Amino acid sequence: MILSIAWRNIWRNKVRSITIMLSIALGLFSGLLVLSLYQGMMNSRIRSVIESEVGHIQLHHPKFKNDYEPEFVIKRGEDILNQISKLPEVKFVAPRSISMGMLSTANGTAGVQINGVVPGLENNISQLKSKIQEGDDFDTLKRNQIMIGRKLAGKLKVRRGSRVVLTFTDPAGEIIAGAFKIRAIYKSENTQLDESYVFIMKNDLNRLLNIDPDFHEIVILLHHNEDVKPVNQKLKKIFSSLRSETWMEISPETELMTKTVDQYSYIIMIIIMMALAFGIINTMLMAILERTREIGMMLALGTNRLRIFLLVLYETVILTLAGTPFGLFASWLLISYFNKQGLDLSYLGSTEMLNNFGFGTMIYPEFPKEKLSGIVIIVIGTALISSLFPALKAIRMQPVDALRK
Amino acid sequence: MDTVIDAHNISKVYNRNTIPVYAVNNVHLHLNRGEFTALVGPSGSGKTTLLNMIGGLDKPDEGNIFINGQDITALSANELIDFRLRNIGFVFQSFNLIPVLTAKENVEFIMQLQKMDKKDRDERVLQLFQQIEMVDKLDERPSRLSGGQQQRVAVARALATKPQFILADEPTANLDSKSASNLLDIMAKLNKEENITFLFSTHDQRVIDRARRVITLVDGRIINDTAAVSTAHQQA
Ligand SMILES: Nc1ncnc2c1ncn2[C@@H]1O[C@H](COP(=O)(O)OP(=O)(O)O)[C@@H](O)[C@H]1O
Ligand SMILES: [Mg+2]
Repeated sequence: MILSIAWRNIWRNKVRSITIMLSIALGLFSGLLVLSLYQGMMNSRIRSVIESEVGHIQLHHPKFKNDYEPEFVIKRGEDILNQISKLPEVKFVAPRSISMGMLSTANGTAGVQINGVVPGLENNISQLKSKIQEGDDFDTLKRNQIMIGRKLAGKLKVRRGSRVVLTFTDPAGEIIAGAFKIRAIYKSENTQLDESYVFIMKNDLNRLLNIDPDFHEIVILLHHNEDVKPVNQKLKKIFSSLRSETWMEISPETELMTKTVDQYSYIIMIIIMMALAFGIINTMLMAILERTREIGMMLALGTNRLRIFLLVLYETVILTLAGTPFGLFASWLLISYFNKQGLDLSYLGSTEMLNNFGFGTMIYPEFPKEKLSGIVIIVIGTALISSLFPALKAIRMQPVDALRK
Repeated sequence: MDTVIDAHNISKVYNRNTIPVYAVNNVHLHLNRGEFTALVGPSGSGKTTLLNMIGGLDKPDEGNIFINGQDITALSANELIDFRLRNIGFVFQSFNLIPVLTAKENVEFIMQLQKMDKKDRDERVLQLFQQIEMVDKLDERPSRLSGGQQQRVAVARALATKPQFILADEPTANLDSKSASNLLDIMAKLNKEENITFLFSTHDQRVIDRARRVITLVDGRIINDTAAVSTAHQQA
């Protein structure tokens, strides 16, 4: 009977009930949306780290990354590349020669990481070609072409076709300089990299460093993200003289960012839940106050406090159960839509900021399936806890006072 | 005779710390089973306060109240809720019924709280609605009933689980005289048929005339009780 009274009470003030239902739906909706956005942002960040920066796994001479000394090359690199490319989990593999150096123009100099790449292979891994804004991919028949980032080009006031000089040291410690012509200007989603990474052909760098046919880095792209750890283990065993690292080890800041963003999303969840709780407490308290005499009468007749308590609780539970599917469905619908279409954050005018943090402007929100049950529990829990206050208010009523109202 | 209500020296004081108001002042009250008694007095004389104390809704500041020999002033708030459920029927001046329940469900509600089974409930509901002459209104919500009909349902509900007695605080105050008279007819009939004790407050002379015993309250004190008189009449 209490349940049926609660049920019918819902229909007494439809606007109020719909308000509560909608706030629950909205709470769920916004919570899921925020998480899906974050999830999407992180996924895109991770994807861009993997697919356009570091790949899934990299191999180096164990000492190479200490100071990027050019002498620490991967010996018999071609054989190793061949071996790795035969692993079933591996999608693409590419070699790079790397040197730290200076890039000088008439207008100034900048410290850069010079990446010597094999054009065809590099595009498989880092999509360098697709990031070109101005100019063309390397012409393999020509010598000494360089690609630099838009940001660096702006800083040094150089254009496509400009001549620049790269200075660096060779394995013997001799200073070497080479004149390069800007073949293309690229722009990635990571402004920091755009400012410090320049690309030339591996042949050119190897010739200047005099390390041919060796090189410094092997970048591996896998078919599936999940294979990273097992493949890394495998590579460590096979090539025990090299150091094999996953993208998480190479780019720990990305992992850190994932965690930070997770924390932010929790904070936002808490804010949303507080708003929800506030709404429910207010609305239900109003309902209780309106029914003071009725509740007083029920208490007077001998309805015990547990039943009165349940009466208020049931009402919220029913509204919560009604609101939850709405919220779930609406957010699923919207998230799925944007998951396909992508959400272009550049409309917000924050492209700069996003790129500074290495985020792209296109975000593909992902419905946070793993977190779904957690969120549903949080929302329902918030609704129930919020209804405790009005319920306690109801059972604290004294029938004598309530009836005199 | 069988004593149902026995109140000893009960008082209720409001505003004890400022200007004390004795809403009920040293009242003795004794009611036997089957009585049909009116508690009369002007507004503010303490009728509601007295009925609330007897009904276990409020506690006296002084004195004790025995219902069927049990001292209810010694019960805790939660024990009182249960005590009221099992022993006392209530009819209030207004707003008696749960608005979202039908007339029938309002009466059933109290029987369900007492865990009566469905078959017994149905039988009893039908019987009661015959007695209050509202069988055709079983499934109406209170908002579709007249004030008099609502009060009749409240009486039926008060009676449903055959309590020790029924307290009715100005049950006719919001009714026109025809409905008031009709309600009193029904109360009197039920008092006879079910031998149930009624104690009701009123300040309506036509209602007072229907009572077999009239207790008059002024400023929280009983100034007149016809019990003695009527016993005298009976003896005469
Ligand atoms: N909660 C209260 N606080 C203070 N005074 C009260 C309270 N309830 C009743 N009174 C006072 O007690 C007296 C008796 O009131 P009441 O029992 O309602 O009388 P009646 O029902 O006969 O009109 C009145 O003077 C009233 O003002
Ligand atoms: Mg009164």
